[in-house]
Amino acid sequence: MTPAWAIILLGALAVSVWGLWGHLRRTLARPWRPELSRAAGSPGRGVIYAFTWGMAPWAKESTRLHLLAYLRGVVFHVGIAAGLAGLALIPWRAAVPAAGEGAIAVAAAAGAVAGWGGLLVRVTEHNLRAVSTPDDLFSVALVSAFLSAGAGAWWGPRWTAPYLALGALTLVAIPLTKIRHCFYFFFSRYFFGLFYGRRGVVGGVQHE
Amino acid sequence: MSETVRTETINTALGALERVLDRRLVAALEVCARCGICAEACHVYASDPRPEHVPAARAERVRAVYRRQHDPLGKLFPWLVGAKDLTEPDLDALAEPAFASCTLCRRCTINCPFGVDTALIMRAARAMLTATDRAPEMLVMLADAAIARGEHAEEFREIYREIVAGLEHEAQERLGDPTLRIPLDQQGAEILYVGLSGAHTILPAAIIFHEANASWTLSMFEASNYGLFLGDPARAKAIARRIVDEAVRLGVKEVVLTECGHAYAALRWEAPNWFGGEFPFKVRSIVEVLADYVRDGRLALDPTANPEPVTYHDSCNLARNGGLIEAPRIVLRAAVQNFVEMNPHGKENFCCGGGGGLVAIPEWFETRMRAGRKKAEQIRAAGAPVVATSCENCNLQLTDLNGYYDLNVQVVGLMELVVNALLKARRRHAVPLPEAA
Ligand code: SF4
Ligand code: SF4
Repeated sequence: MTPAWAIILLGALAVSVWGLWGHLRRTLARPWRPELSRAAGSPGRGVIYAFTWGMAPWAKESTRLHLLAYLRGVVFHVGIAAGLAGLALIPWRAAVPAAGEGAIAVAAAAGAVAGWGGLLVRVTEHNLRAVSTPDDLFSVALVSAFLSAGAGAWWGPRWTAPYLALGALTLVAIPLTKIRHCFYFFFSRYFFGLFYGRRGVVGGVQHE
Repeated sequence: MSETVRTETINTALGALERVLDRRLVAALEVCARCGICAEACHVYASDPRPEHVPAARAERVRAVYRRQHDPLGKLFPWLVGAKDLTEPDLDALAEPAFASCTLCRRCTINCPFGVDTALIMRAARAMLTATDRAPEMLVMLADAAIARGEHAEEFREIYREIVAGLEHEAQERLGDPTLRIPLDQQGAEILYVGLSGAHTILPAAIIFHEANASWTLSMFEASNYGLFLGDPARAKAIARRIVDEAVRLGVKEVVLTECGHAYAALRWEAPNWFGGEFPFKVRSIVEVLADYVRDGRLALDPTANPEPVTYHDSCNLARNGGLIEAPRIVLRAAVQNFVEMNPHGKENFCCGGGGGLVAIPEWFETRMRAGRKKAEQIRAAGAPVVATSCENCNLQLTDLNGYYDLNVQVVGLMELVVNALLKARRRHAVPLPEAA
């Protein structure tokens, strides 16, 4: 990787971190209104549930019914993790064993397929089309393109430049577009666990 | 870029949104990935599958306004992120999704990968609409009437005493026990029981408390809280205050609420937030008390009094949002001969379609009947001729669905089934009079 690319990527990372920091500050500036009622269950165990068993496909009717969509989501997000890990590793690529290179390429490729597939569903399925904003289409397309390039780049060096460019763009897009749901995920699941754990609905400490 | 002129009304609506915009709401507004997986979780969509009935689509109306105010891209390029200036026609159009086609049941929330609290968003929408005089008139009227009743409690006291004396007589006759009392204003009683307007919530409770030998007193007020439906904490607090003050004045150990889902949501879970802390008394539903009585053997019940198969509809406020899933089942297993579960049930149960105050709004009768189609299918599939529930709103909605969809079932409250079983057990244990020679 040339120094120019390193500067671009580090700049993009800085923008991303700075943007997410802004989201964190703005969110924390909002009032925190904890529930003051007597707990019936355990808020703590509710939070643990929210981030563990509560994410399992059998925990929700929606994922039991739409296992394929769930798996597509899982593959997409594993692909993203691989794509970003690959971006971080690229300066040390020579030290990455062949098996590692292959794993990143395969995960990114699978993620890309899931991403493009998701985009196709988004534009063809009438409910999804109705709720989608241009940001949704742009964000999924950007990340899918990034993963496609990532798969190519970890397969052979020809795709490295597009991979780095799309990686930088993705990093910048994280705080600006709907991709930031990856950040708010933690807030949302935390509040979910707190709410339902306290009420004895999830987390194993039942009401009666 | 032209900015829409902000009228006083729009400012008021945006002000209402700002006031409720806490961290939980920000997370719910920000996190939705519009994956659409929540669609079938919503009974409204499941009953009438139109894109606008997808929970995420409903919430988008508020998100669009939020993004225009708070999202950097929403301020610069609103079209890109689906941001929108709020207009008065938008506000008018928000009334239907907020008050009629979302019952705040949170079934979408437990089915969303992020746990997006769409009910919280729709409550924010209700707050905006209430602040700009766009809430359904009936809900406003009911809430204000309850507040007025609290302010003029003394004027009602004597009339209420007379009504309760009549009810006491009726309960004595039904039980065949002249020692049964319906105490009012009983200082030092352990339980303050809060019914609803209507004898059907007081008579069975009086019989049950008498049989369980409970120390109780009847509240002057009714449990329902329409302020909650309006998304208006000031009104909701004023309504709850009547009961809180009464409980404190009488020094009771606990307030027991009749079979009413939203009353439970209001006083058990929300009211401590409005008052800034826990109350010096417990708040429970009569369902929990019944379960305790059954477990402790304080009620002799004869399930043969209810021989037909009975299925149970979980109120969203009691079960999914209140954790009362096992308690009604403990009671049913003791009070009826053949209890059949509905599928799905418990926290996954479908809303009856009448929640969120909808059952009180006459102009949306057709809407709630359509939204109840999924529930009607569930009832039919359960195949039980008796449908029990522990919520007045659900009871009304299920009764209407019964007629609308020709279900041919009987809708009953849990207390009614308990009283049946209790009366039969009492008759069985009664020493028969010696036959005349
Ligand atoms: S509310 Fe949840 S399930 Fe529904 S579209 Fe948004 S993220 Fe998906
Ligand atoms: S809270 Fe209930 S009615 Fe409202 S969108 Fe969610 S599932 Fe539908």
